[in-house]
Amino acid sequence: MIPEFGPGRAIPHPILFRLLDSEADDLTVPEIKVEHRSEFAYYPGCIDYYDQEMQFSHMNYGETNHGIIFDSSIKLLRAVGIEPMILDRAFMKCCGHDQLWQGKVDVFRKMRDYNSKIIRMLGVKTLITSCAEGYRTFRLDYKLDGVRVVHVTQILFERGLRIPPTGDAKRVRVAYQDPCRCGRQMPVGAVFEEPRELIKRVDNADLVELKTFRGDAQCCGVAQMMYCNDKTKGLTYSRMDEARDVDADFLLTACPKCLTHFGCLHHENKWRPGEERYKYRVMDVTQFLAERLPGAYPTGGNEDPKRKELPLPGRAGGG
Amino acid sequence: MEIDRVKGKVFEEAPGFPTQYGPDRSDRQPGSPLVPHETYRDLVSIFLLLAMSFFLTAWIVPSLETPRNPAQTPFIVPDWYVLFSYGLLKLAEILPEPDVPGVLGLPAFRLTAGFWGFFLTNIPLVILLALPFIDRGRETRPAKSPLRSAFGISFLFVWMFFASMYSVNNLILEKWPVIADDNVLKAFMFGPPFLSFVAAYVGLRRLGYKPMYWYRVVPLLVAFLITVGHSAFILSTIGGHPEWGWIAGFLGLLTAMTLAPLVAAVYLPEKAALRATLASSAFLALFGVLLWLTFWYYSPGPAFATEIVIVPNMHTVLALPVFSIITGYLGLRRPYSTYEYLLNECYQCGKCHTVCPVTKVEDDALGGLNLVYNSFKKQHDGVPLWTCLACDACSAVCPLEIQYSDYILEERAKIMATPAVDGGEKE
Repeated sequence: MIPEFGPGRAIPHPILFRLLDSEADDLTVPEIKVEHRSEFAYYPGCIDYYDQEMQFSHMNYGETNHGIIFDSSIKLLRAVGIEPMILDRAFMKCCGHDQLWQGKVDVFRKMRDYNSKIIRMLGVKTLITSCAEGYRTFRLDYKLDGVRVVHVTQILFERGLRIPPTGDAKRVRVAYQDPCRCGRQMPVGAVFEEPRELIKRVDNADLVELKTFRGDAQCCGVAQMMYCNDKTKGLTYSRMDEARDVDADFLLTACPKCLTHFGCLHHENKWRPGEERYKYRVMDVTQFLAERLPGAYPTGGNEDPKRKELPLPGRAGGG
Repeated sequence: MEIDRVKGKVFEEAPGFPTQYGPDRSDRQPGSPLVPHETYRDLVSIFLLLAMSFFLTAWIVPSLETPRNPAQTPFIVPDWYVLFSYGLLKLAEILPEPDVPGVLGLPAFRLTAGFWGFFLTNIPLVILLALPFIDRGRETRPAKSPLRSAFGISFLFVWMFFASMYSVNNLILEKWPVIADDNVLKAFMFGPPFLSFVAAYVGLRRLGYKPMYWYRVVPLLVAFLITVGHSAFILSTIGGHPEWGWIAGFLGLLTAMTLAPLVAAVYLPEKAALRATLASSAFLALFGVLLWLTFWYYSPGPAFATEIVIVPNMHTVLALPVFSIITGYLGLRRPYSTYEYLLNECYQCGKCHTVCPVTKVEDDALGGLNLVYNSFKKQHDGVPLWTCLACDACSAVCPLEIQYSDYILEERAKIMATPAVDGGEKE
């Protein structure tokens, strides 16, 4: 497979980012409606944007489902006795990670100040996020004194999440990609062990390490959504090849951005049916755990009932 | 595939990158060779200096001056580089001169001022001689060890300067009778070195990105309290002075100069505090100087009467306002950028380059795009800045723990904050 001749080479990120930048300018606080007040708050981040963007750009809807990260996180948190207050995008803004790393510090500051105000207003004590970038940004780049910022895997591990035994189901080999933002970039509270420990609690899962892991893990290929081109695809390739080399059945990650790029390439992989390079599934660690937990997803798992079959990859798109 | 194509030749054979590392490397490293480049350049400098010496000795012959008059005592002063020792000899009179009894058959002797002068002179020399043996680390930047560096500034520089100044104490008192007291000159060897030590420590601490709040506020508070206390004491002791009002006014102005940096440091955020400190000090100093010149111009008599009260107390009421302004500024100013401060630690071991994922896939980067190294050498053309994924793989392997992503953040922010050619007009 030659990436140069694959599907579209550039996602129209400028549109998304202009949208987010203009959103940051409006600092009026809307009416805040939360269903369940709690000192535990869950911030889903931009995952709904990703799904929309992927469809909008006719790129790669594929099997990648970002919205399910939200559903899975809530399902798992409920399983450990937390009914979190959901920091909805209706009244929260983007955390500003991408803006900060693109150099738009003024936009980031507006978002940070606005979000910090809302978080304080709601009396949040523990802020849970399922996004590696969000975790880093809230924990390091925000000044949320008195608010504990945790990645969802940390609190699940801390609260002793138990996955019921699956009986004699087929054993699966699971590889975990360490996102840079919640791993080696965190001087304190690096998330290395928690996802691995949680994966080990699935009785038919064998955790396998990729060629580079923990602090040395290779990047997924793209950061701060700045570019998508052959070069970044090349990096994603090499990382996904590592998972293929260890014969993994699942490639898990804890970062929606990693998932986006893995998912994108994974879908391109089906460009020529029968010649797939990657046979494994790519998903977020929360989705993997939630799939193995009995019970329904709180909002239906972000499944699109209109969709009968997966779209073909290609510039014209299929979604 | 692209990765396979570039695999194995990431930076070997590329200009600017060593192919061997470590002390046993044998190949020629990048840079200008000693022969002939550096040698020619040095020879040019040497011949230029020699030519200047020949020219001066041939054409500008110094005169022999008038012959010495044996009836007149010459003004004795040693060469400038031993002035401090002469000053210390003079200062030694303040130290006790005890008689030491003879022990173990040695004769009894007296610790004279001569002994103390010799003793004090040798302290800085011994420190300078011992320094290479005490300080064996490779870290040479002052901000990394503020205590040691502040000691060096205050003791080896300020203290020795004022010791040299004291060697001509009688000339100074003759020239500026308003100082009035030799003890004021003696105090120069205690006050300014201590104040410069504190100011240098605060400034260096700031440069090293260390927590600052109390290190700023406490010295400024102490300076303010001493100035207030001493001003009040002066005013209480000169109750019936005809120029009491003027003296009180000037002392008030000087006290305000110690108060302004303190208030700014306590109540304002750093950036605003720095601006407020500079603005208030500039305003107060300008106002004070203009007032003083006007006062002198219109009534020199009362002005001198005022001066003769304030100047002998210069170590508190004059030095502390200056100290407050300098300390306030040094403690609040923006530290080095992360680039200057952190990236300069890079010694080009090349580990970051080996792990950088971008270098493995960028066509332009075959050997040339070592982000950290190129930034350090100021050779990047802006491309690495935006190509960098900020994945921090380089920081993870850096033996000096340079956080390269901090630099990326800072540089990107700088560029985005710069208006475009069209002035940054919105479309």
